[in-house]
Amino acid sequence: MDFANTPSFFRSGPKPGTRLLLCALASIALLVGDSRYGLMEQARDGMSLVLYPLQRAVNLPLGLVRHVSDYFTVQADLKSENDQLRTRQLEMSARLARLETLERELNELRSLNAIKASRNDAAQLAETLYTGRDPFSYKIIIDKGADAHLQPGQPVVDGRGLLGQITRVQPLTAEVSLIIDKNQMVPVMIARTGERAILYGYGGGVEIRYLPLHADVRENDMVVTSGIDGLYQEGTPVARVSKVERNAGAAFSRITTEPVAGVQQTRFVLVLQQKGQTPPRPAEPVVPVKKTKGKKPADSE
Amino acid sequence: MSFDRPKELLKPVKRRFIFMTLLLAVLVEMIPLPHGSTRWLPDFISLVLLYWLINQPRRVNVGIAFLMGLVADIATAGMLGQHALAYSTTAYLALSRQRQLVMFNLGQQALAVLGLMLCNQSIMVVARMLSGSAFVGWSYFLPPLIGALLWPLLTKLLLLPYRHHSV
Repeated sequence: MDFANTPSFFRSGPKPGTRLLLCALASIALLVGDSRYGLMEQARDGMSLVLYPLQRAVNLPLGLVRHVSDYFTVQADLKSENDQLRTRQLEMSARLARLETLERELNELRSLNAIKASRNDAAQLAETLYTGRDPFSYKIIIDKGADAHLQPGQPVVDGRGLLGQITRVQPLTAEVSLIIDKNQMVPVMIARTGERAILYGYGGGVEIRYLPLHADVRENDMVVTSGIDGLYQEGTPVARVSKVERNAGAAFSRITTEPVAGVQQTRFVLVLQQKGQTPPRPAEPVVPVKKTKGKKPADSE
Repeated sequence: MSFDRPKELLKPVKRRFIFMTLLLAVLVEMIPLPHGSTRWLPDFISLVLLYWLINQPRRVNVGIAFLMGLVADIATAGMLGQHALAYSTTAYLALSRQRQLVMFNLGQQALAVLGLMLCNQSIMVVARMLSGSAFVGWSYFLPPLIGALLWPLLTKLLLLPYRHHSV
């Protein structure tokens, strides 16, 4: 009951019920608009820009702690790590030598074939700002965005393998959907056999679906990107097969896999260029236009 | 007033202080923590929000809860509106029983807060599942329990600056 002479003491604007109604309507509108139609990208960009200094500020003390603990690393640790790195470097240089010869050959073949060998290998290093604490979404936020000319769709890797893909670019940050996120699919092949498949993230892990029972898959097989989607470059390690279940009653074999990249631990990630250069879709064969009653455009099919 | 907190006169709460604590809660939310910790860490924004809703209902209302929900949505890279819906609904529930809640002692309040935070999580689960996510498992309801256990501590902490004489 609001009287004109109610002391301002008692007046407190609309009732909580009315406010709830307004807010609930607004949030449901936002939910639908965001999840169904993706309307809120602009607003999200703006808000993320406002939150960016906060993220930086929160990361600052953690960075300091890391610096200090780096400074006080035990010498033995350094020694063993150094040894490890040295052996790894040896392995790598051997592999690199082989790769270089292969690449030269490939380039020659390409030039012979008059294919432009302009694969853009530029990669950008980015740091993980934070991981969303929402258990439903497997996403990380990195500290490069539109300012570094990132684009949605670029693959993101770490030292061991594929991490995910940039799905949203904001002015200073970008959102990376990890391969284990629901709705993430990666075209892959089994490295040993070259059999192609699609790796599905199901929210917390990855699995290969729709491979027939007789497919030649074994435990510990490496799964690498096949590169046929024009997005991921071929040969990036993605996952390792951990279990193969063949159930005669089911149409497909159940293949459980483990991602090889440190999907939820990495601090530094590498943003690669999209493979691009998908050859243009071959022109539709010209179908002789049948005479129909109505007037239809010829390319309606 | 409650039994374990004898009637005491507190200094008036400044608007700035409310804002500061909410900001602090957002900051805590954004700290990059090792992955497993999010399974049990309570939602600090909603805890602080509930504290102010119960103790300063004239300053913090459903609208503020809605705004904080939006901030939480952006900060956690979730769906826009998910936290906002949950926070404003719980804010309404808390406000409708606010006069009882302030009379409770800390233990009873903690129980009420547990209920409210569970309601929070369930709304978010439902919103998520309606938009097509899989159920994340019952461990999703663990954080409210820990939040409720932390409630007495939070209350004492937030009261500290407003005591006349520090005991």
